[in-house]
Amino acid sequence: MARGFRRRGKGADLRYAAKLDEVERGVVIGLMEQVIELLDAPAAPTEAADPFDQIVAGMGGLGIGVSVLPEDQQGWPSAGPVPEDARSFGERDPALQRLLPAGNRSDEQVSAEFRRLTEDGLKQRKAAALRRSIAALSGDSGSVEVDAATAPLLLAALTDVRLVLGERLELRDDTDVERLEVIVDTLAPDDPLVYAMVVYDFLTWLQETLAGELLRSLDSGGQG
Amino acid sequence: MELGPQLRAAPAAYSWGVSIAPVEQEVTESSGDLAPDVPWITLVWNDPVNLMSYVTYVFQSYFGYSREKAEKLMMDVHTKGRAVVSTGPREKMEIDTEALQGFGLWATFQKDH
Repeated sequence: MARGFRRRGKGADLRYAAKLDEVERGVVIGLMEQVIELLDAPAAPTEAADPFDQIVAGMGGLGIGVSVLPEDQQGWPSAGPVPEDARSFGERDPALQRLLPAGNRSDEQVSAEFRRLTEDGLKQRKAAALRRSIAALSGDSGSVEVDAATAPLLLAALTDVRLVLGERLELRDDTDVERLEVIVDTLAPDDPLVYAMVVYDFLTWLQETLAGELLRSLDSGGQG
Repeated sequence: MELGPQLRAAPAAYSWGVSIAPVEQEVTESSGDLAPDVPWITLVWNDPVNLMSYVTYVFQSYFGYSREKAEKLMMDVHTKGRAVVSTGPREKMEIDTEALQGFGLWATFQKDH
């Protein structure tokens, strides 16, 4: 049974610890690796075997093969209104577009200039945070511990994973979440969409525990 | 006296180090935008993925806003669909937008109309 993040120690020794078993850590790591691939190869989405499928395939009774590739999502719930901004750069993968949205909604030229100046750096920093998070999750023990400097990077990395998974699940406004939950309730327990929602909810819970603890640290640090 | 590091200092929680030098080159044709009386704004847009606690954390840690102000802005994003989270010269708004996008928030910048 997983346990969310809690603060341990004080001052320079402050760290954040959670309990995640091997399967749980494997799922999170596998998704983080996929987001790095997305950031590394924006032009042509990979057609290779989906690492998420492989992760899921190794999950015993839960091995039901979820793909988060867009071409496998036909028949999934139709999207709500798509923010026009999200499509303003045409051919890009919408999940990549969500990670790196246009900087200006009304002026494409300003947006393009902003993208040219910031995109490479943003990609590198996001990938670096994901790699550091993967390293933190890759230990042998059942517990995951990050220091105060790593915790915000893990928090941002979990955000990027949820943004990509959320985009694959077509969660684009608040009503989409409720709509999807209603749909999931009608599906068989072994439906891939049910599993994807379970993973998404798990990541949401895990991130919520870490965000809550970091907020508490801000309070006790006297900031603001 | 070492003025260099101070001049280059970013907001406390923003340690990613952004060079803004090229921006100045790019906007010379519209330098009127940089006048103090024509401010630009940074907006954060609502999305169904980002957690309320996380958005509050980002506003508080990146901008140094109080919990009260961070939570109010977060609620504005959540209930009104967007909020103006910072105001100032275009270069600063571009830095804020880049930083907030780094956190995974849906941030944009524009001239304040």
